[in-house]
Amino acid sequence: MPLETFKSSRPLTLGVELELQLVSLSDFDLVEASPDMLHLLERKRFPGNVVPEITESMIEVSTDVHTNHGELLSQLHRIRDSLVQAGDMLNVGVCGGGTHPFQRWSERKIFSKPRFKQVSGLYGYLAKQFTVFGQHIHVGCASGDDALTLLHSLNRYIPHFIALSASSPYFQGSDTLFNSARLNSVFAFPLSGRAPFLLRWEDFARDYFERMEDTGIVKSMKDFYWDIRPKPEYGTIELRVCDTPLTVDRAAALACYLQALCCYLMEGIEPAPAEDDYLVYNYNRFQACRFGLDGAMVHPKRHEPVTIRDDVLATLRLIEPYAETLGAQAAIEHVRRAAQEGNDASFLRRERQGTGSPEGMVDAAIRRFREGCA
Amino acid sequence: MPEFLTDIAELVWPFSIALAWVLGELVHRIAGLPRITVYALTGFVLSHSQAGLLPLPGESAAMLIANIAFGLILFEFGYRINLRWLRANPWIAASGLVESAATFAAVFAAAELFGMAALPAMLLAALAIASSPAEILRVVNEQRSSGQVTERALHLSALNSIIAAFVFNIIVGLWTFQHSGSLLGAVSNSIVLLAVSGGLGVAFGFAVPGLLRRLGTLGRDATIAFAVAVIFLCSIAQALNMSPVLAALAFGFVARHRRVTLGQAQRNFGALGDLLTVLLFVFIGATLAWPRIASGIGIALAILGARLVAKTAAVVMFARVSGTTWRKGLLTAVALSPMSVLVLAMLVRTREMGIDLMDQLAPLAAATLFLAIAGPLLTQWAVKLAGESAEKEE
Repeated sequence: MPLETFKSSRPLTLGVELELQLVSLSDFDLVEASPDMLHLLERKRFPGNVVPEITESMIEVSTDVHTNHGELLSQLHRIRDSLVQAGDMLNVGVCGGGTHPFQRWSERKIFSKPRFKQVSGLYGYLAKQFTVFGQHIHVGCASGDDALTLLHSLNRYIPHFIALSASSPYFQGSDTLFNSARLNSVFAFPLSGRAPFLLRWEDFARDYFERMEDTGIVKSMKDFYWDIRPKPEYGTIELRVCDTPLTVDRAAALACYLQALCCYLMEGIEPAPAEDDYLVYNYNRFQACRFGLDGAMVHPKRHEPVTIRDDVLATLRLIEPYAETLGAQAAIEHVRRAAQEGNDASFLRRERQGTGSPEGMVDAAIRRFREGCA
Repeated sequence: MPEFLTDIAELVWPFSIALAWVLGELVHRIAGLPRITVYALTGFVLSHSQAGLLPLPGESAAMLIANIAFGLILFEFGYRINLRWLRANPWIAASGLVESAATFAAVFAAAELFGMAALPAMLLAALAIASSPAEILRVVNEQRSSGQVTERALHLSALNSIIAAFVFNIIVGLWTFQHSGSLLGAVSNSIVLLAVSGGLGVAFGFAVPGLLRRLGTLGRDATIAFAVAVIFLCSIAQALNMSPVLAALAFGFVARHRRVTLGQAQRNFGALGDLLTVLLFVFIGATLAWPRIASGIGIALAILGARLVAKTAAVVMFARVSGTTWRKGLLTAVALSPMSVLVLAMLVRTREMGIDLMDQLAPLAAATLFLAIAGPLLTQWAVKLAGESAEKEE
């Protein structure tokens, strides 16, 4: 099956997907609650979309297509309220965070659905190890060519999104010293990493996708676990590096940071992306995962080191006018505060210290998720 | 020669435990029966009353160890109960109250129908309210099950056990009053027991986390710390002639709600819990005597039938409104089947008040034996049918 044509969509429209944790309020471990949650949520109209994920202790929600921060945030609030309400009925806590700090992957159950069973059969323990929680942001693009150009222009900003969203310092019971340990689980997959450097959709479809398909390794775009990938059936590019933040407010702010950034990049002020930009890509990504906002990244063109925090703050100043036209000032302000005050990973480490237990940290994450809940 | 005989007698318990464990593993693997069912059956067959191998349970040194084993299970049980859920979803609490009342009424009616006197019938009905937390928790852990049937069975079992203990104590008070005429003696006995045992547990619930925090061992696994504390607590309670299981339950409750200061503990207390469970259920099986069972079997079956129907009707009635499906409501009710008299017998220590439950409530022995086998099986069956047990990965 050849790669489908890239469906044109309105530039800079937004959609957000969040993978969330289902936690037992009895012992704060992950709990196999998604069948029960989905059952209960079916009874009322859900203010968005909700689907199962690969293991039964995860649930994925997504928003409609939005053009501005206010609408997006308000839908995310309604989605959160519905989830919290359903969770309360079932003794289930819903929360963000890229990993659950002390769950054991071997305890997880694969959700009963053919695709999940098939993935689990292929990847073995990697599938259960993949009980990690990410935020995916879709940005609409007019054409496939636009999508690929934008995708590669974003390469140097990937560390920003990793560092700002990072919320997975603990994994399988231990402090990993990373800010985002979740991405290490993603890197284990053979088709993870970055998209090949092709800027025209036709070339991508013919010179890459078709050839990969001929090898029999992939059947659709779904089989690629890239940091950003084009999604032709939606007419979007999908940023996949973010950990699910602890609050939907941060999720909305990150989405609108991306939106304003894309708006700026589409102006063509920055030099065009080049294959050589990717020389520093993996190093910068590691720095962001390991050290978060304190990480030191290397500018892909000037080859100068700069801390991720400073680079985020400088970028915010650059894109502020674009954010204003998009109605995303509040989001920009939120991101600036996050860059200055620290990400969710540092919040979680503080809670771990303060409460003295991993359970206390999960409890804090649950309370943070429901803050401001109706 | 006599010396040699004493040595043999000391081998009886280790031998029974070894046999029960081997049988438990075999039967669990071949027939899929819950291990605790096999342990209880082994104890029953080897007991003083049947094969005559084991000494009378109440007279043996195994009593303290059984109490500790029970204490560990009940501590873990208390630690898993989230009282805030009952506030967030009041339908769960309503379901528990109605289910308890219905069970009491149905069992009382059935017992009277069989010609039991009012007071014993009420005692029996009070005991029938409780679903044994120990059996349910063991099956849940053995199956590694999680989901609504599991959660609800655990929480409803906590609720109905507390209600049963409360109702039972009131009736025992009445009973004692009728026999002795002393109202004060009747009431004070059970109140002192409840207050002191509970108070001990609560004190531990505050002190142990505080101590752990001082020691700075919070980051590490707290399994051993809790196990040591439970063993200590149960020994104190037994030495004071109080109820070790009640103290352990209260300890678990309090420790849980001060959870933020606690580290993780292994399910079942790891290998230690598994080991003591073998002993506990052999011990439980050994308390039963066949002649009593035979005499009460007809009425026992009627009572169990009434109990199952009452629990099912009441739990199913609240299933949908409390946020689950009719089917899961039904399975929750089935999962609540286990009934263990020993919990309450230990809890209220009626024998010291001159009431021997097993003697005076003949159907109880039969019901206990029947449910020692069938109860865990029904619970296991319910969580499996609900799709909540972990897939087998051998």
